[in-house]
Amino acid sequence: MNILAYIIYLLLTYVITVHVGLVFYRNGRVFMLSLLHNDEQLTSFINKMLLTGYYLFNLGYAALMLRTWEVIHTWTELISSIATMTGKIMLTLAIVHFCNMAFIYFLGKRNNVILNAKV
Amino acid sequence: MERSFNFLAYLIYLPLVILVTWYVARTLFKNGRVFMLDIFNGKTEIAFATTRLFETGFYLLNLGFAFWIMNIYNNVEDNTQLLEVLSHKIGGFCIYLGVMLFFNLYLFFRGRRVARERARMQELPG
Repeated sequence: MNILAYIIYLLLTYVITVHVGLVFYRNGRVFMLSLLHNDEQLTSFINKMLLTGYYLFNLGYAALMLRTWEVIHTWTELISSIATMTGKIMLTLAIVHFCNMAFIYFLGKRNNVILNAKV
Repeated sequence: MERSFNFLAYLIYLPLVILVTWYVARTLFKNGRVFMLDIFNGKTEIAFATTRLFETGFYLLNLGFAFWIMNIYNNVEDNTQLLEVLSHKIGGFCIYLGVMLFFNLYLFFRGRRVARERARMQELPG
């Protein structure tokens, strides 16, 4: 049963990580553009690097967590352990995400460009 | 078949929780766009990007929490216990979600107030 659980878990975390990464990639661009004073080339370069780093970290972390699973005997245990592990990954992602947003917010406040930028 | 009720409980719990989260997030952020536009002085691009980022974070946080607390540790033996356990879990999650909703609303209103005050300060001469 463990193999099945691993496959479902990896699929789920893969879908979530990739989807969330794309959302960040598309919507974070605006903020970086205003932080980097509208330098298009630098922004897209940094954005791509950040996306790659994000994938590496999160998929690596999700794969690392496989070691901590207990042995699964029944379907009930299968569902509950997949949900718990996926929940942990999602909570970690959420915390990191809000930290990032706060970081961008304070950086923007210091540079005073996001709210008062001349478009 | 001693744990079949636990399995049933999970099967009921998961779709319900996902549905509730989706509904709350949709209502909150569809109506929150107006606030975001106010906060960012009508800059649509930044306002929508921020809304989307907050929405993603909202889903991650709440669904993650819902999955995390799903585990039922004792054996559910009959229908009555099933109902009790489920209502306990889902009720608790709904209250948590309500707190998050009001926290978000507070942030929206506060952001709008700050933006309006700032706009008023800029209008003043000197």
